[in-house]
Amino acid sequence: MKITILNGSPNGDYNTLTERIQSLKMQKENEGHSVEEFNLKEMDLAFCNGCWACWWKSPGICAIKDDIESILRSVINADLVIFSSPIIKGFTSSLLKKVCDRLIPLVHPYIELVENECHHLKRYDKYPDFALVALKEEDTDKEDEEIISDIFKRFALNIKTKVEFVEFI
Amino acid sequence: MKLTVFIGSPRGSKSNSTFLINHFETGFCKNNNNIIEYFYLNKINKTEENLEAFYKADNVIIIFPLYTDSMPGIVKEFIERIDTTKFETVKKLSYIVQSGFPEAKHSSYIARYLEKLCPRLKCTFNGIVTKGEIEGIQIKPTWMIKNTTFAFTELGEYYAEKLTFNHEIVKNLQKPYRLSKGTRVMLRIMKSIGLTNFYWNMKLKENNAYEKRFDKPYIN
Repeated sequence: MKITILNGSPNGDYNTLTERIQSLKMQKENEGHSVEEFNLKEMDLAFCNGCWACWWKSPGICAIKDDIESILRSVINADLVIFSSPIIKGFTSSLLKKVCDRLIPLVHPYIELVENECHHLKRYDKYPDFALVALKEEDTDKEDEEIISDIFKRFALNIKTKVEFVEFI
Repeated sequence: MKLTVFIGSPRGSKSNSTFLINHFETGFCKNNNNIIEYFYLNKINKTEENLEAFYKADNVIIIFPLYTDSMPGIVKEFIERIDTTKFETVKKLSYIVQSGFPEAKHSSYIARYLEKLCPRLKCTFNGIVTKGEIEGIQIKPTWMIKNTTFAFTELGEYYAEKLTFNHEIVKNLQKPYRLSKGTRVMLRIMKSIGLTNFYWNMKLKENNAYEKRFDKPYIN
């Protein structure tokens, strides 16, 4: 199985999360899976500017020429993508959110009905499962965890996949 | 009265968020003493200036489009940068979340987060508008969008008077929250005759990209 890890920890003391991700990575590699990790803070990544060139000028390809292409390629060819982030002000990091926004080229602009709701059409035949590992902040409570999990599930639904697990540490 | 508005659309001053808030302003500024100050969160090099404006404001609206089921990354970054030790007075914070999907339900998940965020930012929650069906609003004929633009103007007028959103207008803007059975049947019919994706096809053809619309560029 191919696994992609998107490590969305910004600069700061997030050692507990780093250790968890490293142990997860080692566990998966020991099980015989290949793991590719992207340390987002060390990459050249711009915010999505909403140009939608990826939908109507160069279908499937982001117009911003930075490090996103390697992430898009890894994500769409993986079987599982693990998103990892500390919780900051009640939600996953802006660094990780920046990359979530940039995954839009992976779906099609056309709309279809899914579970009686409008959602985007698939661009690819197969999508990886999603997982989230999030580091709690001091005031994180059960409701925060529920909100983050629910939004992550919605995000997965819109990227044509499902959530394998959500872990709060 | 002064209202401080942060526009969280990556498209900035040309965005649908700006278009909607301009209609809100028409109502809000019917009283000539009222003023709206705009700050654009897509101007990353102006983050310090934007933060200062937030610290000084008493009444704030943050408006943004739904991006992958929550706020755009630029909005989350702004939220993370807010330092609550930099101001004393508790602010009133309202939100407007608009999306391209027809149903407002898509925005209901982030709405829950935004309400819970308020005390974390030393603010009181002052209401939220969730509005679907906004994509392409600026190229639609006036008659098609007049209910929406008029509602935003009314919303602004009410806000100027009561310093909060009118619940009835908010409720109406939220419709449809879910697609009715009739709408779903209509969408299926429209899809079968190729009307659902008219807007996208028009843009694809304008850019000579229609033939490549199903490309899968990143498959190994």
